[in-house]
Amino acid sequence: MMTPGGSGRFRPLPTAMYAGYSGTASSWVAKTSVSASGKRIQREMAELNVDPPTDCSAGPKGDNLYHWIATIIGPLGTPYEGGIFFLDIIFPSDYPFKPPKVVFKTRIYHCNVDTAGNLSVEILRDSWSPALTITKVLQAMRSIFLKPEPYNPALPVITRLYLSDREKHDEVAKEWTLRFAK
Amino acid sequence: MVNETPSKVTIDRSGNGSKEASITRQKNSENAEIFISPRFKSAAAMAGWDEEDLILASFFVDDTPERISSKRRRRSNLLFKITPTSSGSRRKQRIKQSAIPLPVVDLEKVIRQEEEKSAEKKKKKKEVKGETQEEEMRKGKEEKIISEQKSSPPVVLPCIDKLRDELSCAICLEICFEPSTTSCGHSFCKKCLRSAADKCGRKCPKCRQLIGNGRYCTVNTVLWNTIQLLFPKEVEAQRAAASANLNGKETPSPRNPNQRLRGRNRETAVQQERLQREDLSRLLVSEERSERRNNRAAGVRLDQDRDAALALRLQRQEFASAFGVTTTAARASSSSSASSNLSLARANLRAMASRAVRRQG
Repeated sequence: MMTPGGSGRFRPLPTAMYAGYSGTASSWVAKTSVSASGKRIQREMAELNVDPPTDCSAGPKGDNLYHWIATIIGPLGTPYEGGIFFLDIIFPSDYPFKPPKVVFKTRIYHCNVDTAGNLSVEILRDSWSPALTITKVLQAMRSIFLKPEPYNPALPVITRLYLSDREKHDEVAKEWTLRFAK
Repeated sequence: MVNETPSKVTIDRSGNGSKEASITRQKNSENAEIFISPRFKSAAAMAGWDEEDLILASFFVDDTPERISSKRRRRSNLLFKITPTSSGSRRKQRIKQSAIPLPVVDLEKVIRQEEEKSAEKKKKKKEVKGETQEEEMRKGKEEKIISEQKSSPPVVLPCIDKLRDELSCAICLEICFEPSTTSCGHSFCKKCLRSAADKCGRKCPKCRQLIGNGRYCTVNTVLWNTIQLLFPKEVEAQRAAASANLNGKETPSPRNPNQRLRGRNRETAVQQERLQREDLSRLLVSEERSERRNNRAAGVRLDQDRDAALALRLQRQEFASAFGVTTTAARASSSSSASSNLSLARANLRAMASRAVRRQG
């Protein structure tokens, strides 16, 4: 069974992977398909399809409702302009009471994203609230593209450059965008 | 009739500045009585109005016919303590009027024209009309709910989507089920809020304000009732899902739908039993209290008797309410479980009554 969001939005996975997936997926469905987290994620998916945030899209990767892929298009007027950045979103089983794990899959030169793609964004850690949705998380991602948070850095090296030599920082970021995100 | 004269006077005397206006009014309505009804005139007479006032009133009526008409109606109600045209009959006429044009009666015609003007005005008027109308509206609402439960199309409000957004819980994103309001004024499902407080700390999920200790578990009754009125289907679905979940936890083995239905019945039966137990315990507490009082002051026999009677009456009411709630909550429950519960309740009542009698004797 395919989830509606996962099929069209992203490039389809090889069929062999699906075959491998379906075995585990069926057992997974039997256990938690009626759970509150599953319901909530389904609702969020529906809402995202109806009203997606600007420059963003997201949906389940395959059969698993708890594993999503999101894309953010680099906003205009930033060094990330025109780049397409992929993110992995993994929902915990007690979502929305615990934050989803968001990881950049595309390399990016940004002071809030470390080399492994992990984010240093407060709302995904201690300031997470169950009233936040993936839509809001994506909006937050987009806002750190527009305005990095140098005082809560993941990579202090980039932060230092960002604060001391903004032009150089932007140049490097643009180069990285061209290299990895296009 | 004496009452006729002032209105005629109105027409005759209005020569000064507003002659044309009155004439056009006369033309439009053929008769000035439309604007000053005999009842209004007599009311004015009782209130001590003179002709000048009546003339003024007639102008006023021309300007804002609706307001005056409602005022007139209210005043006449106040003065005569009778309803000139009972709201029921007016309603009937309105319904009829939509189907077949009626023979014309002056005052009624004016009212009807006013009513045709706009739906909003209609609403306002309904508010103005008496208690009987309110009761009718309430009945209508109840009928709507019942009809919805019979799976007929739901009430379509223009702002229903906004309402849905407004009344849904930010945590589960569904319509709030048993909403609980925080001290900062945000409402969530009771369950959601509780688990949020358990897992994410005692902060409001929306504004991160600290949530007070005991208050976050109480259901906001007004909000809950509103939600039940507006979204009966959603609430019913959630209730069903919750009970199905519970059943699933009780017996994880797969069952056919028939069995599941029975399981739900069992659950409601359990719930009812619990309610009855609670009632009983409450009764026992009250009994204890009265006994204590009895020990303290043995002489106050009468007081105690009254207490017993009160307790009995309260118990009866509580049973009635408990039954009302559970029967509406689980309309689908089978008659057998209901009857067994009824007999249980009856037995409990009998026991209580006998206890009360013993205490009295």
